[in-house]
Amino acid sequence: MTAAVTADAVGDGRGGRRHRTAPGWLLGLAGLAGLMALAEAVPRAGLVKERFLPPFSDMVSALADEAGTGAFWRALLETLRGWAIGLAVATAAGVVLGVVIGGLPPVRAAMASTIEFLRPIPSVALIPLAVLLYGTTMRATLLLVVYASFWQVLVQVLYGVRDVDPVARETARSYRFRTLTQVRTVLWPTALPYVMTGFRLAAAVALILEITGELVIGSPGLGKQIAVAQSSGAVASMYALVIVVGLIGVVVNVIVRAVERRVLRWHPSVRREVVS
Amino acid sequence: MKRIRAALAATSVLLLAACGGGGGSSNASDKGPATVKVSVIPIVDVAPVYLGDQQGFFAEQKLKLQFETAQGGAAIVPAVVSGQVDFGFSNYTSLVLARSKGLPLKVVAPGNASTGVDKKDFGGVVVKAGSPIKTAKDLAGKRVAVNTLNNINDTTVRASIRKAGGDAKNVKFTELAFPDMLAALDKGNVDAVQVVEPFLTTALKNGGRLVASNYVDTAPDLTIAAYFTSQKTAASKPDLVKRFAAAMQKSLQYADQHPDAVRKVLGTYTKIDPSVAAALTLPKFPTQVNGAGLQTLENLAVQDGLIKKAPDAKELLP
Amino acid sequence: MTVPAALRRALLLLGMPVVLVAAWWTATAGSTDFFWPPLRTILGTFDDTWFHGRITSDVLPSLGRLAAGYLLALALGVGLGVAIGSVRVLRALLEPVLEFFRAIPSPVLVPILMLFAGIGNGMKILVIVSGCVWPVLLNTVEGVRALDEVLQDTARCYRMRPHSRLVHLVLRGASPQITAGARQALSIGIILMVISEMFAASNGVGFTIIQFQRGFSIPQMWSGIILLGLIGIALSAAFHVVETRVLRWYTGLRRAQREG
Repeated sequence: MTAAVTADAVGDGRGGRRHRTAPGWLLGLAGLAGLMALAEAVPRAGLVKERFLPPFSDMVSALADEAGTGAFWRALLETLRGWAIGLAVATAAGVVLGVVIGGLPPVRAAMASTIEFLRPIPSVALIPLAVLLYGTTMRATLLLVVYASFWQVLVQVLYGVRDVDPVARETARSYRFRTLTQVRTVLWPTALPYVMTGFRLAAAVALILEITGELVIGSPGLGKQIAVAQSSGAVASMYALVIVVGLIGVVVNVIVRAVERRVLRWHPSVRREVVS
Repeated sequence: MKRIRAALAATSVLLLAACGGGGGSSNASDKGPATVKVSVIPIVDVAPVYLGDQQGFFAEQKLKLQFETAQGGAAIVPAVVSGQVDFGFSNYTSLVLARSKGLPLKVVAPGNASTGVDKKDFGGVVVKAGSPIKTAKDLAGKRVAVNTLNNINDTTVRASIRKAGGDAKNVKFTELAFPDMLAALDKGNVDAVQVVEPFLTTALKNGGRLVASNYVDTAPDLTIAAYFTSQKTAASKPDLVKRFAAAMQKSLQYADQHPDAVRKVLGTYTKIDPSVAAALTLPKFPTQVNGAGLQTLENLAVQDGLIKKAPDAKELLP
Repeated sequence: MTVPAALRRALLLLGMPVVLVAAWWTATAGSTDFFWPPLRTILGTFDDTWFHGRITSDVLPSLGRLAAGYLLALALGVGLGVAIGSVRVLRALLEPVLEFFRAIPSPVLVPILMLFAGIGNGMKILVIVSGCVWPVLLNTVEGVRALDEVLQDTARCYRMRPHSRLVHLVLRGASPQITAGARQALSIGIILMVISEMFAASNGVGFTIIQFQRGFSIPQMWSGIILLGLIGIALSAAFHVVETRVLRWYTGLRRAQREG
């Protein structure tokens, strides 16, 4: 049995069978529609009291009210900005350090215990530290975002680098490829699917931490708006904002998927999708 | 609008110059208003500072407020101590806890106080409509939700029980955020909840029953919270602190005399429903710190084991 | 293992941490900053803070909830992941819904979970599941999607029974990615263990740390953060043991390729 995710295992098997089903995005919308129907039905059926979990239609009308305010759009922009900056910093740092650490076994061995120690320290435990350094500004939240999403990328890169086909690596070495060439031609293609998964996880974690930071620290953004709605007892507005956060997550995923599809065109997991 | 504000600022500069006011330790003696960062929790209690800002009381003192909202004292105190913000808002028990650990804090103005009227305060203990709990005494041995454990709300609920002649030792306090309390009470996860406005009004509107006004039971006209700064800021910018305190005094007084303006300003920084905002019980906004009330809170903190020894109240107070 | 080899290994394992701890120790030695106490002070409070009753009253309940939540998330993630990974229609249908829920931060999700699960241990375990399940689920889906097509076709040709196909082909083929996901879920689980104890808790490591933070007992708070790190190391070591066992075929394969 051969390994699952190796570049050489791609082979030439065009195994995807064509069958005509509804396009993916339509099914996805159907899934979301089902969720909306459920969110409307559960409170209406009295499973939960409406004043604690209002029906979906109430949330939508609260959302319409929110969308009419400038504060909402400013908060949305602030959240997206913090998320994008944090994700970019974490990804760059995670990939570079991951390749360096993973590519050099002695470094990897020396760093392993430190990584294991630092990684589980919950980003929420860093909140007092972040506030101390940056007050209740955007940068305090940024620290949490970078810290939490960095590990997602780093760990995936480390696993990806470990997955490099030893034969391919030996071949490259015996042909005396230069280090950079080795990284580019052997290590990178194998690690890329892992990097993409890491990036996708990090994109979600960064968003979660951005919102959590805003919520708990009070730095500007949608999370702060959620906190204000919570402490004002504005239940429908609160859920409306939560829906916005969830939708950002969906859109982020769609975008990252598109990027992934472009970057990994040659990989079996993506090729099959394209064929069928 | 901007021009009006600029004109106001210019006028106040002229006025102050004419009066010979303004110390000089502050950097903004003639460069226009000094920007001060204030860290507050976006709740009813801090309405005066927003109202005062709106009314221009801070501009009069050549101060330009920059609000940084936080979600609790745990985030505000470090920000003030490290100088990230100039002033913060916190309840007294938290300040006492911080001071007892040696944090250099200094109160500059009172924040809000209990109305002093039983069953007509801005916070209280609420039970479900059919609950067997009738008075604070019946809370003994029951599950009571408070927003933070080992802080002002559980100590004052204990004080309330003791005052009613009950045993406060075996109350089971559970920590729940104010917004989550009513659902937990409704589901029967807890027997009683200690809530403040706007949740108190919402609770009573939905059939909850008020059994005790814990702040009223603790001490007459208990001051709940205060605006504070670090001792470093107090020592290095005494003029700035003085101006902030003066503007705060005026804001508190104005807020206390104009409840309708307070209800209106809530709409600018919270999302409280206007109908709830019109109905809720406002706290009192005193201009003087009630030293006796603070002493009571300190004693309670010691009695309930939050701290071993009460800090000298004089160090904390202005 | 020879003595020098063992020594080398120990050096590798401990070298970096020792350097970092030493750096921390000297950097904070003379610290008078309230929020950055000297490491000496922090370690001095460690024993008093944790080893006089808090192990059984706080650490064990936390770990119990973590274990329950983690295992549940693992089962759920792998089960759903295999289904979603192998059925394209299901994947298209559910992906936006799952992404929607994944994007909602746990502190926001908790009040909703409380409406259904109350405020007891069940709610806290659910919070842990709600966060841990994603890396397992996503990685399983990716792993199943990326299965070698030749192998799949071969299995089909040989008419492998569905059950053995699942165990020997799907799960095994996807296991490197599943373990990568399980590994990440473990760290996220510890974070969520802390977050879940921010709500309606009366015991736990996270609960205690937050109480210290609110009561401005800063050295004790730092000692709690260190304890979380130590728990992380211990769990990660345990995970490593399980991982090498599960992935023996894989590392063996890699070694064989290396030697061959």
